[in-house]
Amino acid sequence: MSAPTAEPAPGSEPLVTVEALARGFAGVPAVRRVSFTVGAGEIHALCGHNGAGKSTVVKMLSGQLAPDAGRILLDGKPVALRNRQAAQRLGVALVDQELSVVPALTVLENMQLGDIDAGFFKRRRAALRRCREVLDDMGLDRVRPDQPVAALSMGERQLVEIAKALSQRARVVILDEPTATLSEAESRRVFAAVRRVAARGCAVVFVSHRLSEVLELCDTVTVLRDGRDVATRPAAGLTVDGLIVTMLGEAPHRLEATRRPDPDLTHALRIGGLHVPGRLDGFTLTARAGRIYALAGQLGSGASDVLRALAGLHPQATGSVELRDRSVPFRDPVGAARAGIAFVSNDRKGEGLFLGKSVAGNLVATRLDRLGAGGLVGAGRERRTARSLAGLAGLPADRLADPVLALSGGNQQKVFVGRSLGRDDVHVLLLDEPTRGVDIGGRAAIHRLLRDAADAGLVVVFASTELEELLELGDVILTMRDGRVVSTYDGGANGAALMRDMTEGKDAA
Amino acid sequence: MTTTDGLTSPRPATAGASRRRGRPGAPAVAFVALMVVLVPIAVTTDRFLTLDNARAILASTALVGIAAIGATLVMIAGSAVSLAASQTATVVAMVFLATLDRGLVVATLLAVLCGVVVTAVQGFAVGYWEANPIVLTIAAGFAIGGGSVWFSGGTPVNAASGDYDVLNATPLGLPLAVYVLLLLAVLAEAVLRRTTAGRRMYLVGENRAAARAAGLPVGRVTVVAWTFSGLCLAISGVFLAAFNTSATTNLGGTLTLDAIAAVLVGGTAIAGGKGSALRTLGGALLISVIADVLLLRGYSTGAQILVKGVLVLAVVVLVHLRGPRGSR
Amino acid sequence: MIRRPGPRPEHLVPAAALLLVVIAFAGTPLVTGTALATFDVYNALQGLAQIGLLALAIGLTMIAGEFDLSVVGTYAVGGMIAVQAGQSSAVLGLLAAVAAGAAIGAVQGGLIAWLRIPSVPVTLAAYIALLGLAYALSDGRSITFTNREAILWVDQTVAGVFSPRSLITLGGFALAAVVLGTTRLGAELRAIGGDRRAARVAGVRVERNLVLLFTASGTLAALGGGLLSFSFASANPDPGLRPLLIAAVAALLGGVSLAGGRGTPAGLLAGALSVALLAQIVAVAYLPDYSTQLFYAALLAVVVAVDSPGLRRTVARVRARTRAVEA
Repeated sequence: MSAPTAEPAPGSEPLVTVEALARGFAGVPAVRRVSFTVGAGEIHALCGHNGAGKSTVVKMLSGQLAPDAGRILLDGKPVALRNRQAAQRLGVALVDQELSVVPALTVLENMQLGDIDAGFFKRRRAALRRCREVLDDMGLDRVRPDQPVAALSMGERQLVEIAKALSQRARVVILDEPTATLSEAESRRVFAAVRRVAARGCAVVFVSHRLSEVLELCDTVTVLRDGRDVATRPAAGLTVDGLIVTMLGEAPHRLEATRRPDPDLTHALRIGGLHVPGRLDGFTLTARAGRIYALAGQLGSGASDVLRALAGLHPQATGSVELRDRSVPFRDPVGAARAGIAFVSNDRKGEGLFLGKSVAGNLVATRLDRLGAGGLVGAGRERRTARSLAGLAGLPADRLADPVLALSGGNQQKVFVGRSLGRDDVHVLLLDEPTRGVDIGGRAAIHRLLRDAADAGLVVVFASTELEELLELGDVILTMRDGRVVSTYDGGANGAALMRDMTEGKDAA
Repeated sequence: MTTTDGLTSPRPATAGASRRRGRPGAPAVAFVALMVVLVPIAVTTDRFLTLDNARAILASTALVGIAAIGATLVMIAGSAVSLAASQTATVVAMVFLATLDRGLVVATLLAVLCGVVVTAVQGFAVGYWEANPIVLTIAAGFAIGGGSVWFSGGTPVNAASGDYDVLNATPLGLPLAVYVLLLLAVLAEAVLRRTTAGRRMYLVGENRAAARAAGLPVGRVTVVAWTFSGLCLAISGVFLAAFNTSATTNLGGTLTLDAIAAVLVGGTAIAGGKGSALRTLGGALLISVIADVLLLRGYSTGAQILVKGVLVLAVVVLVHLRGPRGSR
Repeated sequence: MIRRPGPRPEHLVPAAALLLVVIAFAGTPLVTGTALATFDVYNALQGLAQIGLLALAIGLTMIAGEFDLSVVGTYAVGGMIAVQAGQSSAVLGLLAAVAAGAAIGAVQGGLIAWLRIPSVPVTLAAYIALLGLAYALSDGRSITFTNREAILWVDQTVAGVFSPRSLITLGGFALAAVVLGTTRLGAELRAIGGDRRAARVAGVRVERNLVLLFTASGTLAALGGGLLSFSFASANPDPGLRPLLIAAVAALLGGVSLAGGRGTPAGLLAGALSVALLAQIVAVAYLPDYSTQLFYAALLAVVVAVDSPGLRRTVARVRARTRAVEA
């Protein structure tokens, strides 16, 4: 536990004090003990790789989650941030990872939406002027206040979201990954605006994966690891590499794989020049059966889009995909599935499981046509298949009849992965964030499942942002950024190099 | 559709689900309560417990029931409702009556084909294009209704021969339509439970995005559901024609809403993914029984319709209270 | 990249629809050989009065992503109450109808908002119940309205083309436009319809707004029904589904979508005017009655096609395939 070393502005109490915050989910601690302070006018970074607890700290600070232990002080006084509105009233503004601008509304309307200071009647003239000022502040001089947000690019929407938070009379501004989807130029505009906000005397909490950005913008950096704050330092003395070492602590060890690549390449998945407009720019890979390919990339890097395009969920994709020397109709999910490609989405609830259906029903959902002849589903065969799949996926047999939404995250994910296992017509398994929202035990089990699947002769490709997962599981690791592959590691990858490549690009080293 | 961050939210749903287990569901309690009220009132009603009355109830259920069985599949598969049922049944009836001179079999086949094609086309637009079913079926209703007036010239279509009488037969004292209703209900239930297409209807209705991402043939499954619904509507229309012997443009009457009401009272969720054809049959019968009791006790048509509406509303609220809360 | 601020669908659709229909209306003399009279305009506005408030009621709920099927039930009940309570005083009758409509809407809004039940099954059930209520109130018969003063008053010509009925209808639209235009309710309704999660995160009181909205739609529908039965000098317990469907057509032509988040009262007025003018054209040009239905079907087909995500994906897939072939 290191004491904050950053000096608060002289002669003033820190504006924000976080004292020994802790919070767990279903008994799994996400944040164990985190303390830091942010002074007025200070830009304070929270760093740490995925799962370190950043998001949970942000949620507690912005009133979306109640801490299990510890307290938050504003101006030295403990405050209870019961919900977003309460936090807003105390002057805490949040720019969330997930956009909360409404595309159907104009820029101005979005700025006013839910603004607790705005009156019932619109005061158009004054509001317009204010909106114009804020937009100009963000360098959004080409965006008009009466323009619908739907007409803006994703980057501009993000900037409007930030402008909205900044326009509310906030004293504390929290930015959670505000630049993840932005271009370099757009990021610059955000930095300028953040600096202006800090100069007005606000406390800014800045969360970002892009470390050089953090060092450039922030005054102080607090590094989180495994739910604890392991260091708080002035940014001035830090380097990207030093920061990475602090974030990683001990470098994770890779589980040695059996590694039996299919020698003659006849069972390989060949991807040539896969292109998705605005997302993915020429992805090429020959993936052999029996190996696990890891795509390392943050949100917006294109890693997830490779998988979605292969699964048929990007109808506008171009390029060529061949599996076992046969062309795959990859612009259509039905065609991709028929060719033997199974996809496990990162959105388990929205795009994965059939939550109201039973565990058994979910396990057999994609193979109903194989459970009987003539379009019929044999009851006995269905039961046997479900039971054997449950065994294969490591699910308790007595829960087969339960609705899948009653399971823990880990078991839900086992159902999701398990439904593509044990069938001879699936040759490729694609997984986007295979262990998102899964506890430690479940995570190891799912990694085991994937390794077994590869050993059984499948091509396994997964995308992840978690370094341990990438290193533990990937036989070949491809780092991605801005829709392109940055580097390919066929063995010999280490955490620091991966993190540098996926956050800064190759030349930053 | 809102997406949820997998990191943060599995907890509430889990808690809710485990809490629900173990205690009897609200619908079961409500059903028992309804029976406790309904049964004594029914059996003490003069003339309720007679064979003739039972026949009357079944007969009055038949046509709406047949259409409702089809509507059940459409709702389970996540296409909500069709608002073009009355018009479809009407146009089928017209085709049937107009072609009766070619013989009963030909006329029936042509009429059924007409209903199936018209409905399957809508299913195609909903399944493959994700057209909004409500707007689409309003449009289809206008097109079919307008088209039927165009072809019929706005005058009633009369039976081209008397062959239809076979359909009005009453073996064992029950109209043929009642047997067809029971047969269709059992058939639909078997399709839903034990065929690939039927099982996929539940999956598509439960989570369309997940079904798509899993590579399930969402479009084809939707078309199958609508085609079956078209078949049911067509059969309903043929019986309607045989019963009335002539068809005007408003022959279908209130079939659209009556069918939906029966499906909803059967506990099928409008959002899809849950439901059963046999429960729809139960829903249709329940509505008929209540209407019958009210009729025998001298209540007006208004009271009957009012009670039906309140019943539908109560079931909708109960079904929803039990299910997971939607984002809307 | 900033796209050029092109016209938005909620403006484009109603503007195009209205323009087309007005041109067709102005062109009818070419077909019929008789010049248009102010009487034809009056009639068109009477047509507007018949469906306008209903279209406004259903359109407002559609902006917020809901669909109020019960408006036609409230329309019938409103007409029935207005006639029965208005035999001696028309104002009293209308007030009673409007109060009943507001109460009906508030109850449904409460169920939909607080229990978070989709609006279609709730309002469908309510429609059936209201139909029963209208029957019960009238013993299933049409009730004659005997207040001659009121009957003559509602349809008398004002300034050649208007009537008190069409003026009240236009007033309803104006009121909605002013309320949604000058208060934050307008943006909040569209936010609720466009992205309910984001609206909640931003601090919009979604539930309260929904109750308010359904109360308004019930009120408008009852007022429309009351005025209609004054005009017909009788109240019909079962108007059928037709008025609902025509109102929905008007709303969809007015630039709202069932997905929500889109639309303005001015657009809804344009949509309702288009539908009313279309009916008038058919009447003036002696076209067969079914041609209106076919027109509605064709217009809705366009609306459906524009709003189908699967169709857009298919187009994207075909274009990608062509690009791949060209390359």
